[in-house]
Amino acid sequence: MAVRFCPRMRPSRIVRLCRPWPAAVGFYLLTGNGGFGASATATQTLSAALSPIAKLSVPLSLTATQGSQKFSPFTGSVPITYRVRTTPTGGGTLTVQVTSDFSPAGGPSAASGALTFTCGSATIGTPCSGTQTATTSSQTPVLTLPASACTGGGGACSGSDPNSVTVTFTLVDNPAYSTGTYSAGLTFVISAT
Amino acid sequence: MTKHATLTVCVLLALAGIAQAQSTTTLSVSVGPEAALTVTTGTTNLTTSSTTFGSNFTGTTSLTYQIRTTKSTGTGTLSVKITTDFAGTGGPSVGTPPSSGDTLQYTCGTSAPATPCTGSVTASTASSTNVLGFGAGANSSKAGNSEAVSWALTDDPVYATGTYTATATFTISAT
Repeated sequence: MAVRFCPRMRPSRIVRLCRPWPAAVGFYLLTGNGGFGASATATQTLSAALSPIAKLSVPLSLTATQGSQKFSPFTGSVPITYRVRTTPTGGGTLTVQVTSDFSPAGGPSAASGALTFTCGSATIGTPCSGTQTATTSSQTPVLTLPASACTGGGGACSGSDPNSVTVTFTLVDNPAYSTGTYSAGLTFVISAT
Repeated sequence: MTKHATLTVCVLLALAGIAQAQSTTTLSVSVGPEAALTVTTGTTNLTTSSTTFGSNFTGTTSLTYQIRTTKSTGTGTLSVKITTDFAGTGGPSVGTPPSSGDTLQYTCGTSAPATPCTGSVTASTASSTNVLGFGAGANSSKAGNSEAVSWALTDDPVYATGTYTATATFTISAT
Protein backbone atom coordinates (compact mmCIF):
# COMPACT_ATOMS: atom_id res chain seq x y z
CA MET A 1 0.00 0.00 0.00
CA ALA A 2 0.88 3.57 0.13
CA VAL A 3 2.37 3.30 3.57
CA ARG A 4 4.63 0.64 4.85
CA PHE A 5 7.23 0.27 7.45
CA CYS A 6 10.84 -0.02 6.77
CA PRO A 7 11.54 -3.72 6.55
CA ARG A 8 14.43 -3.47 8.99
CA MET A 9 12.59 -1.33 11.45
CA ARG A 10 11.54 -2.95 14.68
CA PRO A 11 8.24 -1.91 16.17
CA SER A 12 9.11 1.03 18.24
CA ARG A 13 7.87 4.27 19.55
CA ILE A 14 9.06 5.95 16.35
CA VAL A 15 6.96 5.17 13.35
CA ARG A 16 8.13 6.72 10.19
CA LEU A 17 7.35 6.44 6.53
CA CYS A 18 9.77 4.83 4.18
CA ARG A 19 10.39 4.80 0.59
CA PRO A 20 9.19 4.44 -2.08
CA TRP A 21 8.30 8.05 -1.89
CA PRO A 22 6.04 8.05 -4.96
CA ALA A 23 3.56 5.81 -3.27
CA ALA A 24 3.51 8.04 -0.27
CA VAL A 25 2.93 11.03 -2.42
CA GLY A 26 0.07 9.25 -4.15
CA PHE A 27 -1.61 8.62 -0.87
CA TYR A 28 -1.20 12.24 -0.03
CA LEU A 29 -2.91 13.25 -3.21
CA LEU A 30 -5.81 10.85 -2.70
CA THR A 31 -6.66 12.17 0.70
CA GLY A 32 -6.97 15.71 -0.56
CA ASN A 33 -5.54 16.77 2.71
CA GLY A 34 -3.73 19.97 2.81
CA GLY A 35 -1.14 18.49 5.11
CA PHE A 36 0.96 15.42 4.81
CA GLY A 37 -1.76 13.12 6.16
CA ALA A 38 -0.88 9.58 6.90
CA SER A 39 -1.96 6.94 9.34
CA ALA A 40 -0.13 3.97 10.55
CA THR A 41 -0.70 1.24 13.02
CA ALA A 42 1.96 -0.41 14.97
CA THR A 43 1.67 -2.93 17.73
CA GLN A 44 4.09 -3.41 20.49
CA THR A 45 4.10 -6.11 23.10
CA LEU A 46 4.50 -4.77 26.59
CA SER A 47 5.65 -7.34 29.02
CA ALA A 48 5.82 -6.84 32.78
CA ALA A 49 7.14 -9.56 35.01
CA LEU A 50 5.56 -9.16 38.43
CA SER A 51 7.54 -10.82 41.13
CA PRO A 52 6.35 -11.59 44.62
CA ILE A 53 6.82 -8.65 46.90
CA ALA A 54 6.00 -7.71 50.46
CA LYS A 55 6.26 -4.64 52.61
CA LEU A 56 5.09 -3.83 56.10
CA SER A 57 4.95 -1.00 58.58
CA VAL A 58 4.59 -1.03 62.34
CA PRO A 59 4.69 1.76 64.93
CA LEU A 60 8.13 2.49 66.32
CA SER A 61 7.00 2.01 69.88
CA LEU A 62 4.20 0.61 71.93
CA THR A 63 3.41 1.04 75.60
CA ALA A 64 1.61 -1.79 77.33
CA THR A 65 -0.82 -0.70 80.00
CA GLN A 66 -2.59 -2.39 82.84
CA GLY A 67 -6.24 -2.69 83.74
CA SER A 68 -7.67 -1.51 87.01
CA GLN A 69 -7.35 -4.86 88.69
CA LYS A 70 -4.15 -5.42 90.61
CA PHE A 71 -1.66 -7.73 88.95
CA SER A 72 -3.80 -8.01 85.88
CA PRO A 73 -1.71 -8.42 82.71
CA PHE A 74 -0.29 -5.52 80.74
CA THR A 75 -1.73 -5.26 77.25
CA GLY A 76 -0.99 -3.28 74.13
CA SER A 77 -2.01 -3.45 70.50
CA VAL A 78 0.19 -3.01 67.45
CA PRO A 79 -1.55 -1.96 64.25
CA ILE A 80 0.36 -3.42 61.33
CA THR A 81 -0.07 -2.37 57.74
CA TYR A 82 1.33 -4.36 54.87
CA ARG A 83 1.28 -4.78 51.15
CA VAL A 84 1.88 -8.07 49.47
CA ARG A 85 1.84 -9.89 46.17
CA THR A 86 2.26 -13.64 45.98
CA THR A 87 2.55 -15.91 42.97
CA PRO A 88 -0.17 -18.38 41.95
CA THR A 89 1.86 -21.15 43.50
CA GLY A 90 3.31 -19.15 46.34
CA GLY A 91 2.18 -17.73 49.60
CA GLY A 92 3.61 -15.80 52.45
CA THR A 93 3.85 -15.27 56.15
CA LEU A 94 4.01 -12.46 58.65
CA THR A 95 5.90 -13.40 61.77
CA VAL A 96 7.11 -11.78 64.95
CA GLN A 97 10.12 -12.46 67.10
CA VAL A 98 11.40 -10.85 70.27
CA THR A 99 14.81 -9.83 69.03
CA SER A 100 15.82 -8.14 72.26
CA ASP A 101 14.31 -9.30 75.51
CA PHE A 102 13.04 -6.96 78.19
CA SER A 103 15.69 -4.94 79.91
CA PRO A 104 16.94 -4.02 82.42
CA ALA A 105 17.08 -7.18 84.48
CA GLY A 106 14.61 -7.84 87.25
CA GLY A 107 11.52 -7.46 85.12
CA PRO A 108 9.56 -9.54 82.65
CA SER A 109 11.23 -11.92 80.27
CA ALA A 110 9.92 -13.06 76.93
CA ALA A 111 12.38 -15.93 77.05
CA SER A 112 10.46 -17.31 79.99
CA GLY A 113 7.17 -17.10 78.12
CA ALA A 114 5.77 -13.98 79.74
CA LEU A 115 4.75 -12.35 76.46
CA THR A 116 1.85 -13.67 74.43
CA PHE A 117 -0.27 -12.25 71.66
CA THR A 118 -3.48 -12.67 69.77
CA CYS A 119 -4.26 -11.60 66.23
CA GLY A 120 -7.19 -9.55 65.07
CA SER A 121 -8.88 -10.01 61.73
CA ALA A 122 -6.75 -9.32 58.67
CA THR A 123 -7.85 -7.69 55.44
CA ILE A 124 -5.94 -10.35 53.55
CA GLY A 125 -4.54 -13.60 54.81
CA THR A 126 -5.39 -15.83 57.73
CA PRO A 127 -4.43 -14.45 61.14
CA CYS A 128 -3.21 -16.61 63.97
CA SER A 129 -5.84 -18.20 66.12
CA GLY A 130 -5.86 -18.40 69.87
CA THR A 131 -3.05 -17.17 72.06
CA GLN A 132 0.50 -17.39 70.74
CA THR A 133 3.70 -17.01 72.69
CA ALA A 134 6.25 -14.53 71.42
CA THR A 135 9.71 -15.93 71.91
CA THR A 136 13.29 -14.87 71.57
CA SER A 137 14.29 -18.11 69.91
CA SER A 138 12.10 -18.27 66.84
CA GLN A 139 9.63 -16.39 64.70
CA THR A 140 6.02 -16.98 65.57
CA PRO A 141 3.41 -16.75 62.80
CA VAL A 142 1.06 -13.81 62.91
CA LEU A 143 -0.47 -14.21 59.49
CA THR A 144 -0.47 -16.70 56.65
CA LEU A 145 -0.82 -15.28 53.18
CA PRO A 146 -2.44 -17.28 50.39
CA ALA A 147 -1.29 -17.83 46.82
CA SER A 148 -2.22 -15.16 44.30
CA ALA A 149 -2.66 -12.59 47.02
CA CYS A 150 -2.38 -8.98 46.08
CA THR A 151 -3.01 -5.73 47.85
CA GLY A 152 -5.51 -3.20 46.61
CA GLY A 153 -7.31 -2.78 43.35
CA GLY A 154 -10.29 -4.94 44.12
CA GLY A 155 -11.27 -7.83 41.88
CA ALA A 156 -9.09 -10.78 42.62
CA CYS A 157 -7.04 -8.59 44.88
CA SER A 158 -7.82 -7.25 48.26
CA GLY A 159 -9.91 -4.13 48.26
CA SER A 160 -7.84 -2.68 51.07
CA ASP A 161 -4.68 -0.77 50.43
CA PRO A 162 -2.68 -1.18 52.51
CA ASN A 163 -3.80 -4.32 54.22
CA SER A 164 -3.89 -4.38 57.96
CA VAL A 165 -3.94 -6.63 60.97
CA THR A 166 -3.75 -5.81 64.66
CA VAL A 167 -1.69 -7.81 67.09
CA THR A 168 -2.52 -7.50 70.78
CA PHE A 169 0.25 -8.35 73.17
CA THR A 170 -0.27 -9.48 76.73
CA LEU A 171 2.46 -9.41 79.32
CA VAL A 172 2.13 -11.22 82.61
CA ASP A 173 2.36 -8.97 85.67
CA ASN A 174 4.33 -11.01 88.12
CA PRO A 175 4.74 -9.60 91.64
CA ALA A 176 8.30 -10.84 91.47
CA TYR A 177 9.14 -8.13 88.93
CA SER A 178 10.95 -5.20 90.37
CA THR A 179 9.39 -1.82 89.83
CA GLY A 180 10.68 0.08 86.82
CA THR A 181 10.27 0.53 83.09
CA TYR A 182 11.22 -2.32 80.84
CA SER A 183 11.55 -2.42 77.07
CA ALA A 184 11.82 -5.18 74.51
CA GLY A 185 12.42 -5.13 70.77
CA LEU A 186 10.00 -6.93 68.50
CA THR A 187 10.78 -7.63 64.87
CA PHE A 188 8.03 -8.34 62.39
CA VAL A 189 9.01 -10.06 59.16
CA ILE A 190 6.80 -10.43 56.12
CA SER A 191 7.78 -12.72 53.27
CA ALA A 192 6.17 -13.66 50.00
CA THR A 193 6.89 -16.19 47.29
CA MET B 1 22.75 -17.04 22.48
CA THR B 2 24.08 -18.98 25.41
CA LYS B 3 24.72 -15.76 27.22
CA HIS B 4 21.17 -14.64 26.64
CA ALA B 5 19.76 -17.92 27.82
CA THR B 6 21.83 -17.78 30.98
CA LEU B 7 20.70 -14.27 31.67
CA THR B 8 17.08 -15.23 31.16
CA VAL B 9 17.37 -18.11 33.60
CA CYS B 10 18.94 -15.84 36.18
CA VAL B 11 16.19 -13.30 35.81
CA LEU B 12 13.51 -15.94 36.12
CA LEU B 13 15.12 -17.35 39.20
CA ALA B 14 15.26 -13.91 40.72
CA LEU B 15 11.63 -13.29 39.94
CA ALA B 16 10.64 -16.58 41.47
CA GLY B 17 12.53 -15.84 44.69
CA ILE B 18 11.35 -14.83 48.10
CA ALA B 19 10.47 -11.24 48.85
CA GLN B 20 10.98 -10.27 52.45
CA ALA B 21 10.68 -7.16 54.54
CA GLN B 22 10.89 -6.47 58.22
CA SER B 23 10.07 -3.78 60.68
CA THR B 24 10.72 -3.42 64.39
CA THR B 25 8.84 -1.93 67.29
CA THR B 26 9.79 -1.37 70.90
CA LEU B 27 7.41 -2.70 73.51
CA SER B 28 7.64 -0.80 76.79
CA VAL B 29 5.99 -1.45 80.09
CA SER B 30 6.13 0.46 83.32
CA VAL B 31 5.93 -1.79 86.36
CA GLY B 32 4.83 0.03 89.48
CA PRO B 33 4.19 -0.89 93.10
CA GLU B 34 1.14 -3.07 93.56
CA ALA B 35 -0.52 -5.14 96.20
CA ALA B 36 -3.46 -7.51 96.23
CA LEU B 37 -5.03 -9.64 98.88
CA THR B 38 -7.39 -12.58 99.11
CA VAL B 39 -8.80 -13.89 102.36
CA THR B 40 -9.08 -17.59 101.75
CA THR B 41 -11.03 -18.33 104.91
CA GLY B 42 -14.58 -17.26 104.25
CA THR B 43 -15.67 -17.30 107.85
CA THR B 44 -13.36 -17.83 110.77
CA ASN B 45 -15.10 -19.60 113.58
CA LEU B 46 -13.71 -18.86 117.00
CA THR B 47 -14.13 -21.82 119.26
CA THR B 48 -12.96 -23.07 122.62
CA SER B 49 -12.64 -26.54 123.98
CA SER B 50 -12.80 -25.34 127.54
CA THR B 51 -15.94 -25.39 129.59
CA THR B 52 -14.36 -23.69 132.56
CA PHE B 53 -13.35 -20.37 131.07
CA GLY B 54 -9.79 -21.62 130.98
CA SER B 55 -9.16 -20.87 127.35
CA ASN B 56 -9.89 -18.15 124.86
CA PHE B 57 -12.00 -18.60 121.80
CA THR B 58 -9.51 -19.15 119.01
CA GLY B 59 -9.47 -19.46 115.26
CA THR B 60 -7.23 -18.80 112.30
CA THR B 61 -7.82 -16.68 109.22
CA SER B 62 -5.76 -17.61 106.19
CA LEU B 63 -5.00 -15.14 103.46
CA THR B 64 -2.90 -14.88 100.34
CA TYR B 65 -1.24 -11.69 99.26
CA GLN B 66 0.72 -10.43 96.30
CA ILE B 67 2.95 -7.45 96.70
CA ARG B 68 5.60 -5.45 94.91
CA THR B 69 7.16 -2.41 96.52
CA THR B 70 9.33 0.19 94.89
CA LYS B 71 13.01 -0.48 94.76
CA SER B 72 15.03 1.50 97.26
CA THR B 73 12.22 3.68 98.57
CA GLY B 74 9.08 1.58 98.80
CA THR B 75 7.21 0.18 101.76
CA GLY B 76 4.15 -1.94 102.30
CA THR B 77 1.76 -2.89 105.03
CA LEU B 78 -0.90 -5.47 105.66
CA SER B 79 -3.22 -4.38 108.43
CA VAL B 80 -6.54 -5.34 109.96
CA LYS B 81 -9.40 -3.43 111.49
CA ILE B 82 -12.61 -4.59 113.07
CA THR B 83 -15.03 -2.76 110.85
CA THR B 84 -18.13 -4.30 112.36
CA ASP B 85 -18.10 -5.11 116.03
CA PHE B 86 -19.69 -8.21 117.47
CA ALA B 87 -23.40 -7.73 117.18
CA GLY B 88 -25.99 -8.66 119.73
CA THR B 89 -26.63 -7.71 123.30
CA GLY B 90 -24.64 -9.29 126.06
CA GLY B 91 -21.89 -10.69 123.92
CA PRO B 92 -18.24 -9.80 123.35
CA SER B 93 -17.26 -6.42 122.00
CA VAL B 94 -14.03 -5.12 120.61
CA GLY B 95 -14.99 -1.48 120.90
CA THR B 96 -16.69 -1.57 124.25
CA PRO B 97 -15.74 -4.76 126.03
CA PRO B 98 -18.07 -5.64 128.91
CA SER B 99 -15.18 -6.30 131.25
CA SER B 100 -11.82 -4.71 131.56
CA GLY B 101 -9.22 -6.86 129.91
CA ASP B 102 -11.57 -8.47 127.44
CA THR B 103 -9.84 -8.34 124.09
CA LEU B 104 -9.73 -9.71 120.63
CA GLN B 105 -6.08 -10.32 119.92
CA TYR B 106 -4.16 -11.91 117.13
CA THR B 107 -0.71 -13.18 116.32
CA CYS B 108 0.90 -13.27 112.90
CA GLY B 109 2.64 -16.03 111.03
CA THR B 110 6.06 -15.50 109.57
CA SER B 111 5.91 -14.79 105.88
CA ALA B 112 9.00 -13.71 103.98
CA PRO B 113 9.62 -11.16 102.63
CA ALA B 114 7.37 -9.57 105.24
CA THR B 115 8.10 -8.67 108.80
CA PRO B 116 5.24 -10.04 110.91
CA CYS B 117 3.68 -8.35 113.86
CA THR B 118 5.40 -8.93 117.15
CA GLY B 119 3.65 -10.85 119.90
CA SER B 120 -0.06 -10.52 120.41
CA VAL B 121 -1.73 -7.47 118.96
CA THR B 122 -5.08 -6.20 120.17
CA ALA B 123 -7.51 -5.65 117.34
CA SER B 124 -9.39 -2.40 117.29
CA THR B 125 -12.52 -0.89 115.86
CA ALA B 126 -10.93 2.54 115.97
CA SER B 127 -7.85 2.02 113.87
CA SER B 128 -6.00 -0.46 111.75
CA THR B 129 -3.35 -2.53 113.40
CA ASN B 130 -0.33 -4.02 111.78
CA VAL B 131 -0.17 -7.60 110.56
CA LEU B 132 2.79 -7.52 108.17
CA GLY B 133 5.31 -4.92 107.15
CA PHE B 134 7.28 -4.78 103.92
CA GLY B 135 10.45 -2.98 103.04
CA ALA B 136 11.73 -1.56 99.79
CA GLY B 137 11.96 -3.92 96.85
CA ALA B 138 9.74 -6.54 98.42
CA ASN B 139 8.26 -9.07 96.03
CA SER B 140 5.86 -11.89 96.67
CA SER B 141 5.65 -14.92 94.46
CA LYS B 142 3.50 -14.85 91.34
CA ALA B 143 0.85 -17.05 92.96
CA GLY B 144 1.02 -15.06 96.14
CA ASN B 145 2.37 -15.67 99.60
CA SER B 146 0.37 -17.15 102.44
CA GLU B 147 -0.22 -15.62 105.81
CA ALA B 148 -2.16 -16.87 108.82
CA VAL B 149 -3.65 -14.66 111.50
CA SER B 150 -4.49 -16.49 114.70
CA TRP B 151 -7.26 -14.94 116.76
CA ALA B 152 -7.89 -15.14 120.48
CA LEU B 153 -11.07 -13.75 122.05
CA THR B 154 -11.40 -13.59 125.76
CA ASP B 155 -14.01 -16.01 127.14
CA ASP B 156 -15.68 -13.81 129.69
CA PRO B 157 -18.38 -15.41 131.86
CA VAL B 158 -20.50 -12.33 131.45
CA TYR B 159 -21.06 -13.10 127.78
CA ALA B 160 -24.54 -14.34 127.19
CA THR B 161 -24.79 -17.57 125.31
CA GLY B 162 -25.32 -17.24 121.63
CA THR B 163 -23.52 -16.70 118.35
CA TYR B 164 -21.88 -13.37 117.72
CA THR B 165 -20.40 -12.11 114.50
CA ALA B 166 -17.89 -9.37 113.74
CA THR B 167 -16.18 -8.29 110.56
CA ALA B 168 -12.45 -7.94 110.28
CA THR B 169 -11.20 -6.04 107.24
CA PHE B 170 -7.67 -6.64 105.99
CA THR B 171 -5.96 -4.01 103.91
CA ILE B 172 -2.70 -4.32 102.02
CA SER B 173 -0.86 -1.41 100.48
CA ALA B 174 2.39 -0.83 98.68
CA THR B 175 4.37 2.18 97.67
